[in-house]
Amino acid sequence: MSLNVLGSLAMADGGGYQTPTSAEFYQPLWFDGPLAITRPAVVLLLSVGLIAWWLIATTKRAAIVPSRGQWATESLYGFVRNSVARDIIGSKDFLRFVPLLFSMFVLILVNNLFGVIPPVQYPTMSRIGIPIALTLVVYVTYHYIGIKRVGLGAYFKNLVPSGLPGWIVPTIFILEVITFFITRPLTLALRLFGNMFAGHLLLLLFITGGEYMMINGGFGLKIAGAGSFVMAFVLTIFEILIEFLQAYIFTLLAATYIAGSLADEH
Amino acid sequence: MNAGPPDPDAGHPRLEESSMWNVVSYLISGPVMFGGIGWALDHWLGTEFLVPVGILAGMAVSLYLVWFRYGTQQ
Repeated sequence: MSLNVLGSLAMADGGGYQTPTSAEFYQPLWFDGPLAITRPAVVLLLSVGLIAWWLIATTKRAAIVPSRGQWATESLYGFVRNSVARDIIGSKDFLRFVPLLFSMFVLILVNNLFGVIPPVQYPTMSRIGIPIALTLVVYVTYHYIGIKRVGLGAYFKNLVPSGLPGWIVPTIFILEVITFFITRPLTLALRLFGNMFAGHLLLLLFITGGEYMMINGGFGLKIAGAGSFVMAFVLTIFEILIEFLQAYIFTLLAATYIAGSLADEH
Repeated sequence: MNAGPPDPDAGHPRLEESSMWNVVSYLISGPVMFGGIGWALDHWLGTEFLVPVGILAGMAVSLYLVWFRYGTQQ
C-alpha cells in the first residue's frame, strides 16, 4: 500500500523520492570489493567487544546478593541454560552445549537490537553471510555429534523413523536427507536474515518516506508524513519484539537439532 | 495422570513442542524435492503437468511424514 503511495508520489514529483532498496545494506567503510571493511563488520566487532565487557564486568565480582548487572546477566544465562538447553537437550547432556547456545543467543540478540539502537542502527544479521556463518556452526555441531555418537552408517539409517511401511522408506529417506542437510540450515539462516532484512527495510521506508513528505510535501503530505513517523515508531516497537523472538528461535532450533542428534532416533 | 510439578530431570520437557518448528523444514523439503523430480520429468518427457503433480505429491509425503513423526505415539 504505502509502497504504491510513495511510488506515485515519486512519479508526481519527477522521481524525487528514492524508495530504499537492498543496495542500502551494502555499506563499505574502508576499501571496496570482497575485502572491504563494511558497516556490519564493524558493528559485529563492536557487539563482541560490548558483550565481552558486559559479561566480564557483571560476573567478575559475583556476589551471593547480586548487583543489578549481575542479576540481569544471571537471568539471561538462566533463561538460556534452563528453558532452552536443559528443557530441550535433556538434563543428561545439556551442560556442554550451554556455552555454545548462550554465546549464540547473546550475539544474535545484541546484533539484532543494534538494528534499532542509535547510533548503530544496523541489524548485522540483515547481511546473509553472518546468519550463514552462525548456521554453519550449528550445522557442523549437530552432524558431528550425531555421527560421532553412532557412526556414519547408523546416522543415515537413523534419519528414517522406525515403523514406516517398507515401500515408502526410500522416499522418506531422501526427504529426510534433504531436510537434514539442506532445508534445515537453509531455513535457519534465511529465517533470521529475512526477518532482520525485511524489518529494517520497512523502518527505512517509513522513516525516509516520512522525512521526504515532511520536507518536500504540501500541507496534506506533511500530515501523511507525520502518520508515516507514527508508523515508524509502532514498527520500531514491533521490531524490538521480532529481534528478541528471532534470537530465541535461532537458539531454540539449534538446541532441537542438537537434541535430535543426541537422541536414539531423530 | 501425573500430579504435581514436572520433574526438571525427566528427559526433554520442551523438546516435543519445540520440534514443531522443524515441521516447516519438512513442509518445504517435500514439495521442492517432488516438484524438482516433476520438473526433470517434464523436461525429459516434454510434458507440462508433472510439476504441479510433483508439488502436490511432495506435499502429501511431507504431511504424512510430519504426521508419522509428531502425530503418532511410537
